[in-house]
Amino acid sequence: MAEVARGLSEYLDDMALNILMVEPGDLSVVGALLELTEQLVAEAGKQEGQGMILAMAKSFNAALQKIIMGELPDSAENFDRLGQCVVQMQEVARKGGEADEAANRLFRENMTAVGFEVEVQTAAAEAPEPVSVPSPAAPPPPVAAVSAPAKAEKGAAVDLDFLQDKDLLAGFVAESFEHLESIEVNILDLEQDPGNSDIINNIFRTFHTIKGVSGFLNLKKINELAHITENLLDDVRNGKREMDSDVIDVVLSVGDYLREMVQNVKDVLEKGPDAYRDYGISQFVERVKAVQSGQVEVAAPAVQPDDEDEEGLAESVADVSQALSSRGASPAPAQAAASAPAAARAAGPARSRIGESIKVDIDKLDGLVNAVGELVIMQSLVRQNPLVARLADPKLNRDFSQLGRITTELQRTAMAMRMVPIRQTFQKMTRLVRDLSKKTGKTVDLIMVGEETEVDRNMVDSIYDPLVHMIRNSVDHGVQSPDAREKVGKPRTGSVYLRAYQKGGNIVIEIEDDGEGLNTPKIRKKALERGLISEGDNLSDHEIQNLVFLPGFSTADKITDVSGRGVGMDVVKKAVEKLRGKVDVSSEAGKGSIFTIRLPLTLAIIDGIIVRIGMERYIIPTIAIQESIRPKREEYNTVYGKGEALMIRDRLVPIIRLYEIFGVEPTHTDPCEGLVVVVENEGVQRALMVDELLGKQEVVIKSLGGYLKDTKGVAGGTILGDGRVGLILDLASLLAIERGSAEAASNEEGDMF
Amino acid sequence: MQAAAEEVRSDSVGGLHELEGKYLTFALGKEEYGIGILKVREIIGLMEITAVPHTPSYIKGVINLRGRVIPVLDLRLKFGMATEEYTERTCIIVVEVQGESSAIQVGMLVDSVSEVLNVSGQEIEPPPAFGGSTETAFILGMAKIKGDVKILLDADRIIGTGELAGFDTM
Repeated sequence: MAEVARGLSEYLDDMALNILMVEPGDLSVVGALLELTEQLVAEAGKQEGQGMILAMAKSFNAALQKIIMGELPDSAENFDRLGQCVVQMQEVARKGGEADEAANRLFRENMTAVGFEVEVQTAAAEAPEPVSVPSPAAPPPPVAAVSAPAKAEKGAAVDLDFLQDKDLLAGFVAESFEHLESIEVNILDLEQDPGNSDIINNIFRTFHTIKGVSGFLNLKKINELAHITENLLDDVRNGKREMDSDVIDVVLSVGDYLREMVQNVKDVLEKGPDAYRDYGISQFVERVKAVQSGQVEVAAPAVQPDDEDEEGLAESVADVSQALSSRGASPAPAQAAASAPAAARAAGPARSRIGESIKVDIDKLDGLVNAVGELVIMQSLVRQNPLVARLADPKLNRDFSQLGRITTELQRTAMAMRMVPIRQTFQKMTRLVRDLSKKTGKTVDLIMVGEETEVDRNMVDSIYDPLVHMIRNSVDHGVQSPDAREKVGKPRTGSVYLRAYQKGGNIVIEIEDDGEGLNTPKIRKKALERGLISEGDNLSDHEIQNLVFLPGFSTADKITDVSGRGVGMDVVKKAVEKLRGKVDVSSEAGKGSIFTIRLPLTLAIIDGIIVRIGMERYIIPTIAIQESIRPKREEYNTVYGKGEALMIRDRLVPIIRLYEIFGVEPTHTDPCEGLVVVVENEGVQRALMVDELLGKQEVVIKSLGGYLKDTKGVAGGTILGDGRVGLILDLASLLAIERGSAEAASNEEGDMF
Repeated sequence: MQAAAEEVRSDSVGGLHELEGKYLTFALGKEEYGIGILKVREIIGLMEITAVPHTPSYIKGVINLRGRVIPVLDLRLKFGMATEEYTERTCIIVVEVQGESSAIQVGMLVDSVSEVLNVSGQEIEPPPAFGGSTETAFILGMAKIKGDVKILLDADRIIGTGELAGFDTM
């Protein structure tokens, strides 16, 4: 049962993270969310006793589809409510799928508020809304309207022959993404340094390139949109028009929309013509023209179903078909292919510091790191060889230490090659804060420190989501409105600091705001209600504040000051823990909060304690270890029906007999003769029984291969000093196994007594 | 690859010319088996294997192949044969097959390696229908060479990722 709920709740966690990412009009994320929902439906359908979740997931799925099809408004409020719905599903999943009337009622209420009637599948009119948010029929906020795509239609029965021009199109897609990325960076730079003609030129060239290539490939709509934007920028470049926030806004939203269109071209390439969607561009064209002619627009027109809908569909289907088959007919493909890279070079990143660099295939890099790791091990093997050790030759010893230095240096360099500055991730936050502060009517400065700090390349993508959640949290709930700030004597403009630095073997990322801080008494009250702490617990403010990371904390009636979309901070904690990091918050009422994320320098190396059980050696990640002790007899307890536990610092910590789980023959079966290692994972403490601690070592994590990658209890392997493979424990799944077997064991014991 | 094997099987009336080529043959009990030489990366002697918990019994564990950690499966157990003591002739054949996203290498424990054989199309016959499906699923065909029968195995199917889906339920 525990296993079952786990599979579902993993999907739900992912959905929760995803829904946080959704910006109105951002269909790509909604698409990802829809995919997850479908997987959830499939998964829930497969499992018994999950009817409740299945029904909920189906409704959720249907509502999401309606939003994508434009039948329901894709407003921020609606996504907030959908977020609530996910929370309700998480709640049900946590209870193992049993029917939960309270959760179900909340779920229905939220669904109704979205405009989706559960079971009766019609878009209902307004319904009573428990939370005091604007009614769903209210016009979406301007920002939403700006970036919302006009109705995107699925292309039906499109016959696309895309084998011919696939390469060229794929090249265009990859290039365009790069260009569009650079637009954003450039625009943001421009805000700092308005009037810098170099930057304006860069942005101009980007659109110019996209225009050129898309024109050649017959992607008419992309071409047209890029073209008019280019015209607008041309005016700016020639001084006919000021570079002001109107221009910046429109260029940014055109950039977003282009990205979506290009993404769709990519989808068509990958998944076939069925993935094709039609994007209306008429309103963008009008907007750009309005801005160009100097009409100051108050707000962008609300999204209407695209007026050129039917004709547009036919036309753009033709676009893509032509694009896809144009290679043969095209007069000079070679020339275009040659000119595209040239243009790309010209439009390359301009302001960012250009170091001499080359692109290297990631497999080659991994191969190098592996080989160097092997070298280090071989070196120590040779050195420890008894014959060699007996030589006791001073020169040999000197040579060995020299060799050691070189290999260590080599290893460090190889590792450093996988590191990239965190700058790019941080820069995306600038955009987020800008959008958020517009939406919330607050003025917020984002101050970034330490963007040059380097992190593991594989980690960059994974920290993006939690970072977005926390920044959003800080701006939405941390920083007060300008008026409220003035009242308490703070400057009207709020500040959010985003810092990154290295400390010891960790990367530390801090998000600090000068808002009102966490409401500690309220959190305490909430935690008491939910039974997370008891009245007698003597917790410091800091400990109470960190309760916000517990799962299920901000469900039911949400604490608006600390939670985003009602989706708890526990998703942040989980995401960070997946990266083997830790997250912490400290806050002072009225002054602000600091969220701290601590991550390992690299995902490839882990700091571990090697333990022995019988003949086998295992590695326990140091970050999870709290202490290791040899238990005294009087600390050992058996709890009736629950198994065994140790009394450690006034807490009862259940014991896990690792040798039972791993099926090895241990030296000691009595915890008081062996050792226990106390570990903590997601707030759960356990004492792992081991025979001996062999030492502390930095080990290189290696996957057990696709074949065994989902093995429970094991995170991976590593090559130990003697060349054998040692297994690295995965505490999250290990504790899950243990919970499963504890249930079984308690049943057995029940029979015995 | 599997699709290709499928095709071969369905079109198995005459000699199986598609299957002709070089095979590495090895012994398992009294039988001789063959595996397409193109799948074989290398043959290594027996080395210490680290057991991995919560895996099927035929997965002996993982080994360090020059810095790569690869799983090793015992073909005897995989085929439901009785286990034997490992001898100095026991070895691990490292095969590489295409996984879902990348190539995966897996070691197969066999009693002993025999030779590399050139098998022609006429010598290959389709696998006999024993009734049971699991056993013959791994078999590409039977090669009759100088009176001996060698069972040609489908490495992709033995390692086949489909079967591993069952892991989670363990």
